[in-house]
Amino acid sequence: MPQRSVAEASNPFREGIRIKQSLEPCVMVIFGATGDLTHRKLLPALYNLALEHPLPAGFSVVGFARRPYSDEDFRQQALNSINEYSRQKPVNPQIWESFAAGIHYLQSNFHDLAGYEKLGTLLNQIDQERGTAGNRIFYLSTPPSQYPEIIQNLGAAGLNRNRKGWTRIIIEKPFGHDYNSAKELNRQVGKVFREEQIYRIDHYLGKETVQNILVFRLANGIFEPVWNRRYVDHVQITVAENLGLEGRSGYYEEAGAIRDMIQNHMLQLLTLVAMEPPIAFDANAVRDEKVKVLHALQPLVGREAATNSIRAQYGPGWVGGHQVPGYLEEQGVSPESTTETYVALKLFVDNWRWAGVPFYLRTGKHLPKRTTEIAIQFKQAPLMLFKRSEAHGQVEPNVLTLRIQPDEGISLKFGAKVPGTDMQIRAVNMDFFYGSSFVREQPEAYERLLLDCMLGDSTLFTRRDEVEAQWTLIQGILDEWKTEPRSNILTYESGTWGPQAADEFIWRDGHRWRRP
Amino acid sequence: MTFYVDNDVQYNEGVRELAKVNIDSSGPRLPWAGKKVHIENVEEELSFLWRMTADNVRTSRNINVRTSVLNLVICAANIEIAQQASKFMREVMSTHIARFTLLILEEHGDNPPGVFTWVTLRSFPIISDIMRHNFEQVTLLASGGAVRSVAHIVQPLLKPDLPIYLWWLNDPPYGSSVFAQLARLSSRVIVDSNTFIQPEDGLNFLSSFMQQAPDSAISDLNWGRVTPWRELVAQFFDVAEYRPYLSGVHRIEIEHAVTADNASTAEGDVSPDPIQALLLAGWLKTILNWKLAHDSAEHVYDPATGTFSWHIVRPTGALTLHSIGISSGKTGKLSVHEDGVISIRPRVQSDMRPGTICLVRLISDLDKKYAIFSLNRGDDAEHVFTSVELSEGTRSQRTVQVATANDAVQLLHDELEIIGRDHLFEDSLQEVTELLAQK
Repeated sequence: MPQRSVAEASNPFREGIRIKQSLEPCVMVIFGATGDLTHRKLLPALYNLALEHPLPAGFSVVGFARRPYSDEDFRQQALNSINEYSRQKPVNPQIWESFAAGIHYLQSNFHDLAGYEKLGTLLNQIDQERGTAGNRIFYLSTPPSQYPEIIQNLGAAGLNRNRKGWTRIIIEKPFGHDYNSAKELNRQVGKVFREEQIYRIDHYLGKETVQNILVFRLANGIFEPVWNRRYVDHVQITVAENLGLEGRSGYYEEAGAIRDMIQNHMLQLLTLVAMEPPIAFDANAVRDEKVKVLHALQPLVGREAATNSIRAQYGPGWVGGHQVPGYLEEQGVSPESTTETYVALKLFVDNWRWAGVPFYLRTGKHLPKRTTEIAIQFKQAPLMLFKRSEAHGQVEPNVLTLRIQPDEGISLKFGAKVPGTDMQIRAVNMDFFYGSSFVREQPEAYERLLLDCMLGDSTLFTRRDEVEAQWTLIQGILDEWKTEPRSNILTYESGTWGPQAADEFIWRDGHRWRRP
Repeated sequence: MTFYVDNDVQYNEGVRELAKVNIDSSGPRLPWAGKKVHIENVEEELSFLWRMTADNVRTSRNINVRTSVLNLVICAANIEIAQQASKFMREVMSTHIARFTLLILEEHGDNPPGVFTWVTLRSFPIISDIMRHNFEQVTLLASGGAVRSVAHIVQPLLKPDLPIYLWWLNDPPYGSSVFAQLARLSSRVIVDSNTFIQPEDGLNFLSSFMQQAPDSAISDLNWGRVTPWRELVAQFFDVAEYRPYLSGVHRIEIEHAVTADNASTAEGDVSPDPIQALLLAGWLKTILNWKLAHDSAEHVYDPATGTFSWHIVRPTGALTLHSIGISSGKTGKLSVHEDGVISIRPRVQSDMRPGTICLVRLISDLDKKYAIFSLNRGDDAEHVFTSVELSEGTRSQRTVQVATANDAVQLLHDELEIIGRDHLFEDSLQEVTELLAQK
């Protein structure tokens, strides 16, 4: 049966209502239901959706994991998660009771086909009892190494599609470990599910401020004309964390900053800044343009990768008033580890809009503060009228900063005359704070993304060619780093903005890193 | 002396001196409205207050961002009502930071024609209580003949290039041109029919005003109270299996809360008419494209029990052949219409604000199968039990949170997010006036 988009179904009562599309009852099966992501994000997000009732009657959750839980144990775990992490506290007992009635648990190993057959029986039973009409979402929230066997077993058990309703699968990041593994994972999931059934999640895209990048660019007429190589000098994208490993050394040793941040989140930010206006705001039109940007990125291979990237590990230092150990002294980290905790890249988008404009990306752990921002630095005025006056040398370039987190907002830096009889110019910031114009609680990124998946809208999810194009760029860098001696990995003091070499890296081009 | 800027902006000695010079001692005193200034000095005084908060930022955690996303103008008929509105504006501004202009229209007072203005910056906490934001409040009292020109008088006080939302408190002024003038100035006019003393007249006035001023966008907070019910009704028919039953819906029942003795409640004096129920009925009738039966004798209104019942002619969509198949050679009957009923009745529920919807039930018959879609508020004012009863059994039961939405602030929050006209509300309001005309 072809996948039916719920958007196509017409319900006249939806006219004039906040959610215009029909949201059909469905079951969400969470693989890795006892894990951290389920605990911190998924269950609280689902509860919030139930509380604000976009979730339809009959919506159900099935936890699928190895731990020997009963339905009741899993419900208790869900309640604990919601109590701890929901943005809506305290838990409303009546809503919880109603929500909990749809929560089930199925104990099974991920490799055990019999478990999937039991799952099929349970899903049919839920369809009967709760009217979920065969609509299913499978959420892979396990370690990535288990994705292939889960996907394969879903196919083997015939759960990848059904005659009654729609079936979708959400795949958490990291999507692959390198280009080949991402391509292989795409191949495996593509054998079992059609592309329109697959939702590769990157929670950054669920953030309001990330979505606002497109609104800012494309709903305002004044920015797009200057959004190109003629006016933009360079772009800096910063994702800084002040935290260290936080007990995730096993994962981080395998990933490093380039896989953890750059391959997904930061390339998403770059594509949203650099993409052409899509012909429509729909899933494929938006993603077509993002993919074009990724294809236009100048490949970083061999010497190009070496000269346009910096990697480093944090050493001991002070962060937030606390003394912290260096990366190599962290528990669970090999003393010989080559995993980078800091990366800086210089990228070029080879198209008519951006040719010659460098995009500097940097991310790191144990940096002085947690911040994510995109700064677009404009070229200087072509003629400096004030050069013979005292203002000469005081004029700074205009910078437009999109702050993703925290202090979400937008700033524009420009020069203004200091009041007085002489001609002094000072840079001032014109600030827009989300928090001061729209003082309201923002929904969690996962709430938005889960709802979009239920509605069949994949605009904010990553497409197959997009993820492969991301990995194409990253693979060139990884290959080059593999050939370099360990001594090439620099060290920076925790609590600083990275190694000295990163400053020199950008100084070479006559620029300097912003201090966010 | 902190009353000019409430809560947290402290005047220093120099400021106090300056304030003394500017105070106009004539006319009424409204300490809660801030500092009395001449209307021409409003902007200057506001700038001065912002500069003072900037000083305050250095010593505390105030955020000194002079942001507004809209103009909110509230019209009150007297000082007492205005003061009540002013009290809860801090909460409204915590979501929509606006320049808040409070108009007091003392048209019928004994005062001679006059205009008095007050300004203040008010603050509200944004992160627990340690960080605060400010918003601007301008209060303008017009008395006597000045009321007729208030739309012109207020214009210079509005922030340019931002939408203007006008909230008209209490009943609209039948027979006065002020409402129309202010409506023309505004992007959107908001009323709350729940507080109308003469609800039927008020709704009729709004309905005819919309026809006379098609460029004005009007909304009613009572429509916001109905919105959660509309969403829940819509959710029933998101389920593909239930959607066919839409064409079989032939009876709609709505119940609304009344007190046992029809007395006013702790919520205050409220409209005796079931406006929310009427708006919901009007909406259902619009969406289902139902028409009132021509014979008005078939419509029932029993003032003793407060029960309404309308006989409806409902189109069944495409031409259908009823009862006898053509292939059998027997005569058939082609029909495009069937009968239906909309019923509104009171339910004694003393713990709820009168007029609150308590039950919505849609009854459908389709091919000898029936379905009953119910939304039923139990004893608990915050929750609604939803269920679908089919011929083969009851399904899809759950409890959802639907607060009684008495909170005008929350409803106003939602209204301030809407730009432009709400055609569905306008259509539903027209339906309501048509239903009420059958009384």
